[in-house]
Amino acid sequence: MKRAAFYFLLALAAATFLYPFLWMAATSLKPPGEVGGLSLIPDQPTLENYRLMWARAPFGRALFNSLFVATTITFSVLVFGSAAAYALARLSFPGRRALNILTVAVLLVPAQLTLIPMYTLIVQLGWVDSYAALIVPFAFNATAILILRQFFLQVPRSLMDAARLDGMGELRILYTVFWPLAKAPLATVGILTFMGAWNEVLWPLLVVRDEQLMTLPQLLTVFSLGGGAGPRALATKLAATMVMVVPVVAAYAFLQRYFIESMASTGTKG
Amino acid sequence: MASVTFEHVRKDFGTTTVVHDFDLQVADGELVVLVGGSGCGKSTILRMLAGLESVTRGTVRIGERDVTQLPPRERDVAMVFQDYALYPHLTARENISLGLRLRKLAKAEIERRVSWAGEILELEPLLDRKPKQMSGGQRQRVAMGRAMVREPAVFLFDEPLSNLDAHLRGQMRHEIARMQRRVGTTTLYVTHDQVEAMTLADRLVVLEGGRVQQVGCPVDVYRAPANRFVAGFIGTPPMNFLDGRLERERDSMVFVSDVLRIPLPPELRPDPTPDSDTAVTLGVRPEDLALARGPSTADDPGPGSVRGQLVLTEVLGAHTHLHVEVGDRRLIAAVSSGSLPGPGQEVVLSMDPRRLHLFAADGSPLRPGSHEQNTDAQELGPEFEP
Repeated sequence: MKRAAFYFLLALAAATFLYPFLWMAATSLKPPGEVGGLSLIPDQPTLENYRLMWARAPFGRALFNSLFVATTITFSVLVFGSAAAYALARLSFPGRRALNILTVAVLLVPAQLTLIPMYTLIVQLGWVDSYAALIVPFAFNATAILILRQFFLQVPRSLMDAARLDGMGELRILYTVFWPLAKAPLATVGILTFMGAWNEVLWPLLVVRDEQLMTLPQLLTVFSLGGGAGPRALATKLAATMVMVVPVVAAYAFLQRYFIESMASTGTKG
Repeated sequence: MASVTFEHVRKDFGTTTVVHDFDLQVADGELVVLVGGSGCGKSTILRMLAGLESVTRGTVRIGERDVTQLPPRERDVAMVFQDYALYPHLTARENISLGLRLRKLAKAEIERRVSWAGEILELEPLLDRKPKQMSGGQRQRVAMGRAMVREPAVFLFDEPLSNLDAHLRGQMRHEIARMQRRVGTTTLYVTHDQVEAMTLADRLVVLEGGRVQQVGCPVDVYRAPANRFVAGFIGTPPMNFLDGRLERERDSMVFVSDVLRIPLPPELRPDPTPDSDTAVTLGVRPEDLALARGPSTADDPGPGSVRGQLVLTEVLGAHTHLHVEVGDRRLIAAVSSGSLPGPGQEVVLSMDPRRLHLFAADGSPLRPGSHEQNTDAQELGPEFEP
């Protein structure tokens, strides 16, 4: 009985999270007449909203931009972040301690605070309306460095010694010995970075004005602000939102094991 | 294959010196064991030879080549680690062959060497397993295989058996000895376990506090320790020590302590003859103490004998260790098992004066001068039988 009540509560909690999402998915498939209803199953399902959305704004291009930007950022954070983490964890050089402290200090500065100086920099570099403006500021990430450094500290020293005696240089040790061991933290960093980059809307709004370079959330925001207010417009906006949400949900579904595993472990180890 | 030379090698970590002026010449094909307690610098010496630790001062040579400044991969050495250090994501075969692949050896040659090592170490059925699917002993064999296939100039073993259980340790010790004899590669082996040290070494290097205490073949180190530290460190159970003084009595010398009085035979008399009443420490190996037959009723147990109370007997099988409290100290005697007195009983231990060791107050040995030390008849303790 106690167990049943527990499951009922869990189901209720799940429903409060799931219902809005399912409603959004359902409504994006409804004709204008049904949009106001709370039902989760459209009476006359239609793809018209998706067709309209696609026709009114360059969502295809925006999808590509988002994928390209988020993937490049993720790749770069993993490659450079793990290299920095490796150096900070396992190499001895003058200034290592100071750099470690500096990396932590970076986390203390809120992103909003650096928004204006970064914008000025991008303008001076002439990078406004370019992929560089969307990618470079996010290509290095202190959180990623700290998570990976923490993991790399636990890799036994003898493994590095063995690799050095086998003839490996530092980069090869990092990418062929440490990476295979660090699948879980790499997956965490990868997912967090990808989600962050995928959802980022404020920064693209600042540095990109060319519609062809806009990312999905940015175009969606612009589209929502100017797309009218009727039921048809609402359904079209929801269709656009679906396009944005589905890739992240899919990625999460595939990687959730790593995600939960490493979120749990970074909690204790970090 | 090659010789190895350390010349005046020193290692500092910050302001601490962990290796002082280390000199050693290892001949081609020789197996030298560095032995000492933890923190004595033995692993650091090995790591300096491998290039995993920089050398503060001095020169390290492999053959004629000065390798002091070379990175590990250019030194042509292979190392077996205490925790095996196998790559967890690779199979045994991949672990063994990785170093060869990185050196871009021909595929056929890699195959040949992997199967050669697999055969010697009986690894064939394990080659496609990953480390976590193997036992400790199997992992250790894979780690040895990885070192062997490199066909290096020098093998380095850093406490390779300390993570194994006693039975497996004995077995792996034999395998290492067999493998080293078969391939004949110059080998440096670090251990804190003196049974390993005594059984494996062509020569032993005993270290303490970053300084060499003695270099020699195991039997010589055991029979004629260079100082009190070596005497106490090599041998299980350790040598018994009694503090006392030397007294001149007519034309002979006598060791006198509060519990023992023993005249020194002429062949053991130190040269130059020390002054009367010199403070010395007498050392006697547990196997050189014997249980006197029948309880002595006299108050004085006689010259060369001590009376004490048996507090503990450890039966090891053929041999038994008797812990005897004599005054405020404890002596250990290793005797043949059989009908032995029980704990709590009073016993008399006698010692053969020809098998005693004498050390000056600074720990240096008081050796007989022109007299030959009579050690030929001595036997090593049961622990050191190969």
